[in-house]
Amino acid sequence: MRNTGRRRLELTRVASLGFTALAALVFLGMLVLFGVESLPVWRHLGLGYVTGTRWFFRVHEFGILPMVYGTLAVSAVALLVAVPLGVGTAFFTAEVLPRRARRTVKAAVELLAGVPSVIYGLLGVLLLRDFVVKLLAHWDPLSGDTLLTGGLLLAVMIVPTVMTLADDALSGVPADHRMAARALGLTRAETALQVAARQALPGLVSAALLGLGRALGETIAVFLVIGRQDNQWPERLLSVQPLANAGQTLTTKLGGSETFIAYGDPLHWGAIMGLGLVLFVVVTAVSLAGASLVTWGGDRA
Amino acid sequence: MLRTGQRLLLTAGLILAAAAALTAAGAPLRVNGSTTVNPVVAEASDLLRAERGLTIQVDTQGGSSGGMAALGEGRAEVAMVSRPLNPEDQTHYPKAHFVATRIGLDGVALVVSADVWKGGVRSLTKAQVRGLYEGKVKNWKEVGGPDRRVVFFNKEAGRGTWEVFAHWLYGDPKAAPLVTLPEVGSNEEGRSKVSATPGSISQLSAAWADGKRIFAVGIRQDDGRVLLPTPAAILNGTYPLSRPLMMVTDGPPQGAAKILIDLLMSPRGQALVKKNGYEPAAVGEHAK
Repeated sequence: MRNTGRRRLELTRVASLGFTALAALVFLGMLVLFGVESLPVWRHLGLGYVTGTRWFFRVHEFGILPMVYGTLAVSAVALLVAVPLGVGTAFFTAEVLPRRARRTVKAAVELLAGVPSVIYGLLGVLLLRDFVVKLLAHWDPLSGDTLLTGGLLLAVMIVPTVMTLADDALSGVPADHRMAARALGLTRAETALQVAARQALPGLVSAALLGLGRALGETIAVFLVIGRQDNQWPERLLSVQPLANAGQTLTTKLGGSETFIAYGDPLHWGAIMGLGLVLFVVVTAVSLAGASLVTWGGDRA
Repeated sequence: MLRTGQRLLLTAGLILAAAAALTAAGAPLRVNGSTTVNPVVAEASDLLRAERGLTIQVDTQGGSSGGMAALGEGRAEVAMVSRPLNPEDQTHYPKAHFVATRIGLDGVALVVSADVWKGGVRSLTKAQVRGLYEGKVKNWKEVGGPDRRVVFFNKEAGRGTWEVFAHWLYGDPKAAPLVTLPEVGSNEEGRSKVSATPGSISQLSAAWADGKRIFAVGIRQDDGRVLLPTPAAILNGTYPLSRPLMMVTDGPPQGAAKILIDLLMSPRGQALVKKNGYEPAAVGEHAK
């Protein structure tokens, strides 16, 4: 009996080690593949590929800075809207709602996280474009396809992720700590904001980072409302005006028809794969940061 | 190095395709390409699914050129193409022997939003279209329309619609100037954005211009004649942006691809072509 149990344990260990190694290998393989495939563009342009602001594939100009800007701008808008909303909701569910109601609300929010992104995109086309035109009337947008539209749509999409992870973080704070705080005479609000929030802080930050990871990688929904206009490098970085213009992100470029034309032209194909590499590295970095904060927070709790 | 990488990618794709094929009932027929040709082929596929139990997947990734790429790389058996084939299609995939079957004809229309149409823009000269495309004409009043800024939604490069447009305007898509415009992909997207955006213009399949929310403007010749994308003008080729709608295969159509193309060429298939607003293939000059 004991023997078979031990053998089973051994098998589990070997299998999980094997699959972990496989996952790591696939990950590394992808990184190498993107690196090798994008080699021609790095050779041809070097760092100019990352710092260039003009992309005209027919004359072999490949500068991705406006797309990096577009990606950062829509993600920043998304976070600015989604984090207060998501974390605020999490405070409500974790600190105020009774446990039963909390589960129901959480399940409903998680259901929203599972809605296919193309549905969000179509809703964005139908509802958000007109709203943004009115909202930005002062900056006189040409159409409803703007960076802000993309950012707001992303915000709606990542709120469930941020909310449910923030709720996990807050609920993870041990009940003893709360009881001790209440016993010391803190009010319920003080307990939530000063004891629970402080303890859950790494978890809250990681909720925001994992939301950001999703925002960075999202393609089709943004694709439908951002306008997909190349070379939109703003004159002034920190102003609202660029948000009222159409733009392009790393993902919307990759989702467009150029990917299909590029094949057969090593430099163009390299430039497209380079976009993938940059996106891959950024998303991985953000997700790793988010995941390591979760572990860190877990250790402390 | 690159070749190895590409082969790796291709292998991965093939494994995925094989897995997909195993789960489906037999190997599916994969069709990919133009969103203009798509509605006709989708309806024909529905008929074949119901009547003969065929498995057919119809996708529209990347438009005509996307379809040709899928065909060339073996990710599809049939490409839907809404422009004449060009030499690059063959040079990109030297091993392939592309065979095109023309199933119908269509025109590329220049469509404007309702406010522009009602504001008096009913036709444009080639020079005016060029000015609009290159951003030199910034307000509709410069071409006899309302006082409103111009929003040009450009069809993505690689879409059959864009290539026909660029070929007409500049003689060769490669000679088209480098412009930076907001882009639209599928016909659905172009239609919804032009109808929802005041002051907008775009290139769109003529059959999709309903004359209610989006309007096809005519092309005014030097002698004052206005050419409209009417069925007759598309059929006899007098409308300058006429184009063929084609099903392209690698080698002569075989198996399920042949069944699908035969259906499209039959009276029933041609009725579907007409029903979707396109002109039948049997008559008319090959638009080039």
